[in-house]
Amino acid sequence: MSRALVALALLAAALLPLALESEGYAIHVLTLALLFAALGQAWNIVGGLANQMSLGHAAFFGIGAYAATILQIRFGLSPWLGLVVALALGGLAAALISLPTMRLRGHYFALATLACGEVMRVIANTAAPLTGGPAGISVPFGAEGVWMMRFEGGRPIYWLMLGALVVVTVVFEVIRRGALGYRLRAVRENIAAAEAIGVDTARVKLQAAVISGALTAALGVLYAQFNFFFDPDTVFGVASISVRIALMAIIGGIGTAAGPILGALIVIPLEEFANAALSDRAAGLSQLVYGAVLIAMVLVEPRGLMALRFSWTFRPRRASA
Amino acid sequence: MPSDAVPLLEISSLSARYDAGEVLQDISLTMHPQEFLCIIGANTAGKSTLLRCISRLVPRARGSIRFHGQELMDQPAHAIPGLGIAHVPEGRHVFPGMTVEENLCLGAFAIRHRPGLAGRLEAVYALFPRLAERRRQRAGTLSGGEQQMVAIGRAMMLEPRLLILDEPSHGLAPIIVEELHRALVDIHARGTSVLLVEQNTALALSVAGRGYVLEAGRVVLEGAARSLAQDPRVREAYLGL
Ligand SMILES: Nc1ncnc2c1ncn2[C@@H]1O[C@H](COP(=O)(O)OP(=O)(O)OP(=O)(O)O)[C@@H](O)[C@H]1O
Ligand SMILES: [Mg+2]
Repeated sequence: MSRALVALALLAAALLPLALESEGYAIHVLTLALLFAALGQAWNIVGGLANQMSLGHAAFFGIGAYAATILQIRFGLSPWLGLVVALALGGLAAALISLPTMRLRGHYFALATLACGEVMRVIANTAAPLTGGPAGISVPFGAEGVWMMRFEGGRPIYWLMLGALVVVTVVFEVIRRGALGYRLRAVRENIAAAEAIGVDTARVKLQAAVISGALTAALGVLYAQFNFFFDPDTVFGVASISVRIALMAIIGGIGTAAGPILGALIVIPLEEFANAALSDRAAGLSQLVYGAVLIAMVLVEPRGLMALRFSWTFRPRRASA
Repeated sequence: MPSDAVPLLEISSLSARYDAGEVLQDISLTMHPQEFLCIIGANTAGKSTLLRCISRLVPRARGSIRFHGQELMDQPAHAIPGLGIAHVPEGRHVFPGMTVEENLCLGAFAIRHRPGLAGRLEAVYALFPRLAERRRQRAGTLSGGEQQMVAIGRAMMLEPRLLILDEPSHGLAPIIVEELHRALVDIHARGTSVLLVEQNTALALSVAGRGYVLEAGRVVLEGAARSLAQDPRVREAYLGL
């Protein structure tokens, strides 16, 4: 039943761009939503399964975006190979950040990871010869072709993002249901009990961080190919990336596969709508409205929108079973 | 007493410290196979620390801890359950969001690939019939005594050679405490060696065969449980007689 539903939703998502204008605004917003859904899902491995509220995922995202783009500019490297490089660098960066921070709890972990993202932003702004500095960096234009991820119209990159979301979601589910998921859950629920049964708590946290960081960096590559241009403040930004990624899962429901997807499908269009409708009325009004809606959502259901769905549909069913 | 056999556990000149200072000094302790040993002592004597040294949860310790002749000091904490030592830590540490059965199955985590999970579950349910009735219930919703049974049951899923318990009866109603101790006697009778730390000295000395008395990080007394219960120092300091 639910499997058929997933397949149906996937089919609809795949066919949707055919009904939309190829270069249009709608497809652009949806592609962005798919990207952030995938980012939220990658974050969910650390934030949801390991219960570590990372506010530093921009570090991995930006590393992926910059590494692949610089390699493409300098050596003409295909972004597909850039993805592989990004996976490796993102995993490595996550390991380096995770090792000293994994024992921190709650706010301390959040602040430490936030600082890591900020450090990367400063480095990217300073290392102008390599990164272009604050002026930003552009993906080189070239002939169209799959190998260089250069497509006509907005549909192929939409499908690419959809594919990425599927891959990241499958990874998330495989982890959640597998041995690593159980270990992470044990650590999350009671670290003393987890240690008592022989879970290597440092190791499982490291594994979760590396997988999450690697996937986030790969998504940074796709973002670069989607946006063509970016600068350090965007890809390493706290508000633009780190908090936004976490928000997808928090709004939708942490620790569930559907959470970040739901979150992104609501939050990204909401952002766009607030921007389009209100930005010319008064400076900052759009952010104000956007912020107010987010606060309202978190107040209504702190566990995320997925929890609302559970309480509405599942409880009565369970009672009648 | 088979004193010529290889000891199950042999601790010699063990010291341990936290940031605040030395907590254990020059501890020596021997435990034979099939023994039921108890450690008694006042608050902050270092009982929990001693147990945490055995399961390698205290990083800064010196000395030697041998289990069946194998040195534990160079083992990481997560390797200990696999060696056959199960530790039921102080406090009722269950996985609150998981069912009783999931909690128990996770106990066999260190030996996940070996067969016999169903048999182990049945053995635990035989030990604690209350848990069998509540196998689908979330552990966080159990009573304190039942949570402690889950913690002990989860440790028994390893079929350990040595079961270490840190104040399992702390804060529980007397009737539950009795039930728990009957289970411990049962566990011991079926061949598991038990090392018990207990505030309830009278109860500990009534179930254990031998005991150690810890005072300010040192072993001050050691002997058969029956003679410790008669010892004037123990009677005065721990039994309130
Ligand atoms: N994690 C820790 N960090 C610093 N000091 C600690 C830590 N754990 C215990 N101590 C200190 O070590 C000493 C011994 O503590 P321990 O818990 O081993 O005693 P205990 O005999 O188990 O006491 P209780 O009967 O209250 O459980 C105490 O003074 C305690 O404050
Ligand atoms: Mg203690």
